[in-house]
Amino acid sequence: MGVTAPTAGVVSVPSLASRAVGATLELVVFIVIAAAFGVIDYYLDAVTGGLGVSAFWISFWAMAIWSAWCWPAAQRFASSFSGNHIAMLDGRPASTVTIAAREFTRAGLLYGLPLLAIETNVVPVLVLMALAGVFISRTAGRRAPWDLLAGTIVVEDFGGPATMIERSEVSSVADLQLDELRNRRNAVARRVVLSLGFTSVVVSVLIVWNIFSEAAEFFSAEDFSWSSLQGIGWFPRRGIFDVWTLFIGTLWITGIAIALAGPVGLGVAFYLSEYASPRVRQIIKPIIETLASIPSVVLGLFALSFITPQVLQPLDDSIGFASLLAAGLGVGILTVPIIASISEDAMRAVPTELREASYGLGGRRVTTSLRVVFPAALSGISAAFIVGISRAIGETMVVFIAAGGSGGAVLEYDVRQEGQTFTAAMASLGAGTDSVAGVGIAFQSLYALGALLFVITLMLNVLSDTIVRRFRQVY
Amino acid sequence: MEYPDTRSEDTPEHTEDEATVTSMIDTTALTPQSVGDDGSSTAPLDGRDVFTVEGLNVFYGDHHAVSEVDLTVKEREITAFIGPSGCGKSTVLRCFNRMNDLIDIARVDGTVRYHGVDLYDESVDPVAVRRRIGMVFQKPNPFPKSIYDNVAYGPRVGGQRGNLDDVVERSLRSAGLWDEVKDRLGESALGMSGGQQQRLCIARAIAVNPDVLLMDEPCSALDPIATGVIEELMKEIQSDYTIIIVTHNMQQAARVSDRTAFFTAEIDERSGQRRGKLVEFDETGTIFSNPGDERTEAYVTGRFG
Amino acid sequence: MHDRQTISLDSLRARRGDDAAGRLFLALITGAVLLAFLMVGAVGVDVVAESWDLLSNRLWGFLTSPSSADAGRAGVSQGIRGSILIAGIVILTFPIGIGAAIYLEEYANDTWVARLIQVTVRNLAGVPSIVYGLLGLAVFVNGLQGITGGRSVIAAGLAIAVLVLPIVIITSAEAIRAVPAPLREGAYGLGATQWEVIQSQVLPAAMPGILTGTVLGIARALGEAAPLLVIGAVGFYTTGNQDFVEQLRGAFSALPMNIATFAREPAETWRGHAAAASVVLLVLVFLINLVAIVVRARISKRLGR
Repeated sequence: MGVTAPTAGVVSVPSLASRAVGATLELVVFIVIAAAFGVIDYYLDAVTGGLGVSAFWISFWAMAIWSAWCWPAAQRFASSFSGNHIAMLDGRPASTVTIAAREFTRAGLLYGLPLLAIETNVVPVLVLMALAGVFISRTAGRRAPWDLLAGTIVVEDFGGPATMIERSEVSSVADLQLDELRNRRNAVARRVVLSLGFTSVVVSVLIVWNIFSEAAEFFSAEDFSWSSLQGIGWFPRRGIFDVWTLFIGTLWITGIAIALAGPVGLGVAFYLSEYASPRVRQIIKPIIETLASIPSVVLGLFALSFITPQVLQPLDDSIGFASLLAAGLGVGILTVPIIASISEDAMRAVPTELREASYGLGGRRVTTSLRVVFPAALSGISAAFIVGISRAIGETMVVFIAAGGSGGAVLEYDVRQEGQTFTAAMASLGAGTDSVAGVGIAFQSLYALGALLFVITLMLNVLSDTIVRRFRQVY
Repeated sequence: MEYPDTRSEDTPEHTEDEATVTSMIDTTALTPQSVGDDGSSTAPLDGRDVFTVEGLNVFYGDHHAVSEVDLTVKEREITAFIGPSGCGKSTVLRCFNRMNDLIDIARVDGTVRYHGVDLYDESVDPVAVRRRIGMVFQKPNPFPKSIYDNVAYGPRVGGQRGNLDDVVERSLRSAGLWDEVKDRLGESALGMSGGQQQRLCIARAIAVNPDVLLMDEPCSALDPIATGVIEELMKEIQSDYTIIIVTHNMQQAARVSDRTAFFTAEIDERSGQRRGKLVEFDETGTIFSNPGDERTEAYVTGRFG
Repeated sequence: MHDRQTISLDSLRARRGDDAAGRLFLALITGAVLLAFLMVGAVGVDVVAESWDLLSNRLWGFLTSPSSADAGRAGVSQGIRGSILIAGIVILTFPIGIGAAIYLEEYANDTWVARLIQVTVRNLAGVPSIVYGLLGLAVFVNGLQGITGGRSVIAAGLAIAVLVLPIVIITSAEAIRAVPAPLREGAYGLGATQWEVIQSQVLPAAMPGILTGTVLGIARALGEAAPLLVIGAVGFYTTGNQDFVEQLRGAFSALPMNIATFAREPAETWRGHAAAASVVLLVLVFLINLVAIVVRARISKRLGR
């Protein structure tokens, strides 16, 4: 890949990567056109009953025609100045018809098939595309499918051979100026990038403003009274908002999770950092990363279908289908990689000199690990635990699936029973059918909880940052 | 423009010099170039001034790194900056093409004039400056692209459209690299040896046809043979470019340069920081055989540094 | 002083009692590692085992039928479509994250703006995913109803894109920061503007790292369920005669939603469906990771690393 050295008179080929970027930009244009048509369609709907044809298909045809006709025509026009001619990738010149046919096919593959897939059924179309790709690569070469997607048209460098830049005299400041185009591009790029950077700030502001304003509405609603925060349980649709129920549930889940993930995570971290050889590390690290990438829904399912019947019920058959204990263990599994990787980073950051000093004095690995590395990395390890706790508090799906209590929850101290956490309560509220209207105090309690959750996790994150910064041992 | 072949036929002198590269401080090896006995005329041209530096001071934040430098660089000469480590040679060099702009906390006071134009004038664009005043760095830093693309980068970025084959070939010839790489222009530049990579960086700098070449210890990461090759190269291309070289190796300065500037570092009493100062600046012959300042003499005779 | 004669091999060898603590510790942490392996293994085996029946008998049907009340006919085709659409929308927003990362690493000069953005991004990364669901509900479902059509896949995609944004920014920023300074210096030295240096050297060199970040983002996006619950993904829906755009703005589903719905069904018959849907999700995530690893390896090879 990359530019091969051209010899005079033959096509200079831009790399596959840059052509792929071009194809992606084309795709963006396609989506923009489609979105425009979509908006027009939406408003025309109100007036005349809509365009009648899917906006995406309109833009598909537009792009296909554009690709087939406009692009080669534009290239021909430009190349007429330089006297060069358009060539295909393999260097042969191409007629307009060939180019049109190729580009139309490409537009069809690039835009049409995915559209078809989405409108009908994804998997069969994807299989078809894969088969087509395999077929093309068998007949036209391994790179052919990718070249087809990225664009087959290639144009020689305009302007013929270039000469060495002229050395001009410098006599005044005016001679040391940059040309307008490059300057402008640089300035525009800078502004664009800055505004992109701002989006994150915008997002933060949106979240905070949003949640707190709705939460405020909850507290100021007519049928709200502070006494309703105390009750037999969390039954928002009946106006009973016993926050304590949720708090107990969250506490149990987090506690069980950390009780599992703390030792396991720390143990893995110690092993990776102090005991494992590089080869062993190469095996263990991917496993931990795999653990980290398991979606939480799957862990919720796992808690229900494995932990409960195979692990818990044999121990105590009073545990039902759903329980806080099962969910807590599930969240624990989720948290292991977090504690493991942050702790390991902290331990590895301890300079070797400290370890060598300990070994030099006759210490063994366990002594060094526990007496030297652990205290030195303590700030990082604490941060790991705090991040782990924050994650456990914020975990929704495992609890939603495996801890039960979706409609409402009675205050429950027994982990073997069903329970409810802040997050799962929010999920239940949001998913219920009476939230369509988005009104009602039951619904706004969702935001009140959200505000609480946001504040708690924010404080925890700030705490972990402060600990790392303030108490990091200076080496 | 004629592009000289870098391998000149009559080079018994050069082989001798390669052998003396590894000799320790040995004043007989310090044959200043102006008293050249290899037959080629190397008397310094009393040409135009390319750079005029007046009262140059460089600050990194609060640290006063370089103080009160005044010197003049003449056209088509090789000017060397020598001195012990940490005395600001590279810092001063980087002022000539405004590379210090890239460091947030760097501040430059004083004037640096290029053909009479103040380089640090508000309306001067550093990018335009760098096209005319090229730089080769201490550690070879080829781009992770093909050899061709490395050399073609400068012209392409500068807006050259069209087929750059010719430009690339001429630049590589000037750098004495063409014969070695002409069959593998499409290969990655990272596969070359250190000396080749550095010559590639020189070719890369030449490709935009600059007026001046700044070289920041270009040989310090290379073995003695490669060093010798680059020193030869410098003397060959001297007729087309003004060269300023910063070097740790004073024999190198003696071998190649027409004029030499000797820098030293003073310790500021109050802050304990090192501050670079220009001690002496003169024709190379004078610096090495008859220096005016006793510090210069101490350095070039090896009593310190 | 010890009597030298009493030093024997015995006393040099660690006494069993001394080493017990060491061996216990090693046993404990090895146990921890094994337990971690066991967790991964158990999840994998359980999911595959539970789904085996369904997948081996009815794979095609499962992949191509929508969900239904009849366990014998239920499938995840609508979930697949929704997940892919969401992933597509998320991918479209990656340039925003990468742009923000470029700003933080290349343009920002330690000003309050830059620090504000950095702090904000780090805090956003730690916000629970369901809060992003709330945001999506308020802004994309209710606020921008005209464009998104209310509880639609567009709203869900946008909400999850916002969720993934901090991850992309942080990993891209790391990748950009890791590009070695000499590469940038070389490009600047040849007279390139800041944007040209970024576009032609920094970004290509940072590509492997940025790619990793985007893949992490996509994997995360595919697996997130909590925001979907709040925004209103459903298990099953009909599209009737809706054209493509109306479909985009109408009811939607997603794989994680399918998994959650199946899992919460009390009847045993649905256990297999939940597991099978999990397998589909995991395979999808795995494929994406695989593609990214391959592309990343090839780019790294080209960069010479």
